[in-house]
Amino acid sequence: MLKTIFPTLGRIRFTVQILMLFLTVYGGALLGSYTVDRISQALPALSCAYDKMTGDHCILIVNQHQLHHRVGEALVKAQDITLKVFIPVAMSVGVFFMFFFFLNKAFCGWVCPLGTVQELLYRIGRRLGRPLNRFTPANVGRVRPVKWLMLLVLVLALPTLAGMGVVSNELGDPFCQVCPSRIATTLLTADSEQIAVRTSTGVNFFLGALGNAMFGFIVIAALAARQPFCRICPLLSWNALFQKLSPMRLVKKDVHEKCAKCGVCEKACPMDIHEIGTEFGKKAFHEDCTLCGRCAEYCPDDDVIQLKFFGLRIFASSREHYKRRVKAETPEGAPKKRFINIRFDKPKSEDD
Amino acid sequence: MDMSGGHDHAAMMQGMGKSAAWTLYPTLKARMSGESRETMKTAVVPQNIVTANIDAWSNNLKDVNVYRQLPVDMGGAMLDKPANGGFHWLSAREEEGETVRVASTVYPFNERGAKDPTAMFMQQKHELEIIPQPFPREHSRYRANEDWQFLVRFNGRPLPGQKVYLETSNGSMAEFVADAQGVVKVHVPDDFKAETERKGTGGHNHGMRRSAELVLATEHADGGKTYLTAFNSSYGPNAFEKRSLAMGLGFTLLGMLGAVPLLRQRKAEPKSEETGNA
Repeated sequence: MLKTIFPTLGRIRFTVQILMLFLTVYGGALLGSYTVDRISQALPALSCAYDKMTGDHCILIVNQHQLHHRVGEALVKAQDITLKVFIPVAMSVGVFFMFFFFLNKAFCGWVCPLGTVQELLYRIGRRLGRPLNRFTPANVGRVRPVKWLMLLVLVLALPTLAGMGVVSNELGDPFCQVCPSRIATTLLTADSEQIAVRTSTGVNFFLGALGNAMFGFIVIAALAARQPFCRICPLLSWNALFQKLSPMRLVKKDVHEKCAKCGVCEKACPMDIHEIGTEFGKKAFHEDCTLCGRCAEYCPDDDVIQLKFFGLRIFASSREHYKRRVKAETPEGAPKKRFINIRFDKPKSEDD
Repeated sequence: MDMSGGHDHAAMMQGMGKSAAWTLYPTLKARMSGESRETMKTAVVPQNIVTANIDAWSNNLKDVNVYRQLPVDMGGAMLDKPANGGFHWLSAREEEGETVRVASTVYPFNERGAKDPTAMFMQQKHELEIIPQPFPREHSRYRANEDWQFLVRFNGRPLPGQKVYLETSNGSMAEFVADAQGVVKVHVPDDFKAETERKGTGGHNHGMRRSAELVLATEHADGGKTYLTAFNSSYGPNAFEKRSLAMGLGFTLLGMLGAVPLLRQRKAEPKSEETGNA
């Protein structure tokens, strides 16, 4: 029965994504208004604090606030840099890591509401027959550093400088002001406040206009490109800082030299991590990996790509799973059937 | 309704002797003082009500200090932040002759992992009560042009059809009626006047946000006594003040147009979807 409902890892992930979308977008309305104070307030996913129904807050808004209101202000008064200042920051990072430890970057691939929204848009794009735009091994390197720049400038530097009074106070949480998740999740709760651009000052207006334009771009781009914002998301780089510290891993081994470098796993990767097709060991678990598990699902060789927790195998690639997966969907994510057809008896396969 | 029965004890005290000039209902005004976040203290000043103590309930009902009586001195009652933070219910009670007057408010110490305050809010504290359903959580507050719900009850029982009066420091007055469950839906009036721009205050400075005060009050007679209870809080301008929805939609559309070329099919594109570069 369970295998009928969840025949593939992809189906399990999709179900988790939808559940997490409800928790992160509507959790406060479903579980009580004050849920937001009680889960983590440092979630490794873009669960937006501007969403009045959200069930939890993203770590990035907490970081920006602490750097702005505590660290930045304290740096000005050097004598005030004490444990009292750094404890709240350490607490946030500690709580974040308590969650992150168990799922690692699966927060990006399984929990993040913006990731789910982009994936749903991409599915719509496949059904509308739109093309797939990908980064090649030659040009993917151009976009990868952007996420580090976003983290450094928008999440770390500007909030600290705003707290120190060096730059305008409006730059206290600049990433939130351009984050598409802020607009997407609030619109999902029928709240149009965040899509309205702030006009009080030039800085506010610039950030708002930039954020809205980026949101519009992402909505359309997601129809024809996989996870367009994830590639430059500062939470991806923030999570990458900690990814080696979690026992949840993507592992690729050249088991009995089975890997024929067929490249199917590369095609399946929504982040265009070409290294997964060519590398092994640590290099295969790339900083851009969101632990979605698609590479493992679409690897036609037994046990070559695995998801492991503390060395224990959670999921491993297999010929059997690959065959089941490609019946429903191409590695690039295009459905074999135009409409979803839920059947509880074993369907007759055209390939059989 | 007689709202002026209480003499202003707070007004007689040096330093805090200001009655809430905008209303005659009893209110509790929380004021933060101190140079830094770490040394900041909260003083609760009773206004339009005579009281020697402020009653404070923390949201952790299992804590031994869940209920405290804070003595009112020259600067008001000092409310320190407990280890578990969270929401605090504050109230003051005055009984004079056949009249019982209660002022109440909620003060939030935002704190990660704080207990859900719903049970504490619902715990009976006085005869006549106005209870937020819910109170705005962190990153949220009462704002103009929004509807918020409150439960009105007497001795723990809802009061259907009960009238609730609203006054704001911006000069608005309104009247609402509770439904069959004793719940009243209050529309916060959009009564902020346009302000002159304050340079350098920025858009995210919590301490400098525009704010006004509102008070809800209700009166009920029972057993020869008259009960008047008020609940006060601050509220902000409406969500769209200094925002432009039209420009927001315009820039979103602009971004969408920028991505349209990605949707175009390439002529020489093979059947496999893997060609093309972003």
